[in-house]
Amino acid sequence: MPIDAHAVATLRYIRASMEAAGTVAVPGSAGIAMGIIGLLAAALASIPPFRSHWLVIWLLAAAIAALTGGVLMARQSFLQGFTLLGAPARKFVLCLAPGLFAGAVMTAVHWSAGNLHAIPGTWLLLYGCALIATSAPTTRIVGVLGGLFVMLSLLAFWLPASLHPLVLGAGFGGLHLVFGVLIGRKSHGSQI
Amino acid sequence: MISGGAETSEDARFDRLIYERVRLGMMSALAVRAELTFSELKALFNVSDGNLSAHARKLETAGYVTCTKSFEGRRPRSVYRITAVGRAALNRYLDHVEAVIRATRR
Repeated sequence: MPIDAHAVATLRYIRASMEAAGTVAVPGSAGIAMGIIGLLAAALASIPPFRSHWLVIWLLAAAIAALTGGVLMARQSFLQGFTLLGAPARKFVLCLAPGLFAGAVMTAVHWSAGNLHAIPGTWLLLYGCALIATSAPTTRIVGVLGGLFVMLSLLAFWLPASLHPLVLGAGFGGLHLVFGVLIGRKSHGSQI
Repeated sequence: MISGGAETSEDARFDRLIYERVRLGMMSALAVRAELTFSELKALFNVSDGNLSAHARKLETAGYVTCTKSFEGRRPRSVYRITAVGRAALNRYLDHVEAVIRATRR
């Protein structure tokens, strides 16, 4: 093997080893951005003229938050020299996707059956489970966040529907925001 | 060597330590993770316990990694971390490989 080909193969091996061992970096900024979007959605859905459109507002907020979080995570991966097709990113998607897919299916099932009151609890529960699963390729703090979402979901199933906007805001807004700050501080000292 | 200069004794020792594939993989993996357990390293590189232990001991003796042993219940748990010396050695190795590529493609 020519010497430069051997060197290139060595670099590839180093990169593959790093990717296989690497974890997905969840930037605090992603949590903060998603939290702000969640709080805005909660505020908008609580305004009387928009209350009846809470489902659409939250679905739009979910799409915007997912896109924002995805872009910020991709940026972080890029800064660390990993690609979105690398092993850590694949593990992350495989852990996250089943919970989100189940959430989408259950939303459609509840909506078609007229069980709108069950949707907030279902979202919080399945998103929490998805986060717990993603703590494996990310960090433990993401699992803790997932656990809190699950606990909040139990509260949502128990509380009357009139308090659901508050619970959704506390979860998708408050928890994301608080944990975004915590993750940012843990990763970069006082910076986010 | 690209430079054609004399190899220092540190370079020679470094080559022997990191050039080997499993040890290079271990150092690369530890460079991106704060810590990795023995089981995680074993799964990553698909090597036997004895083989991994021998490689880990060599890196530990050189001061490139540290090993903290503890118990999880009744099971022993070894956690490896890369040291500043080890990180510098890996960076030197990467510089060396990149220099080879640059020189041969000039």
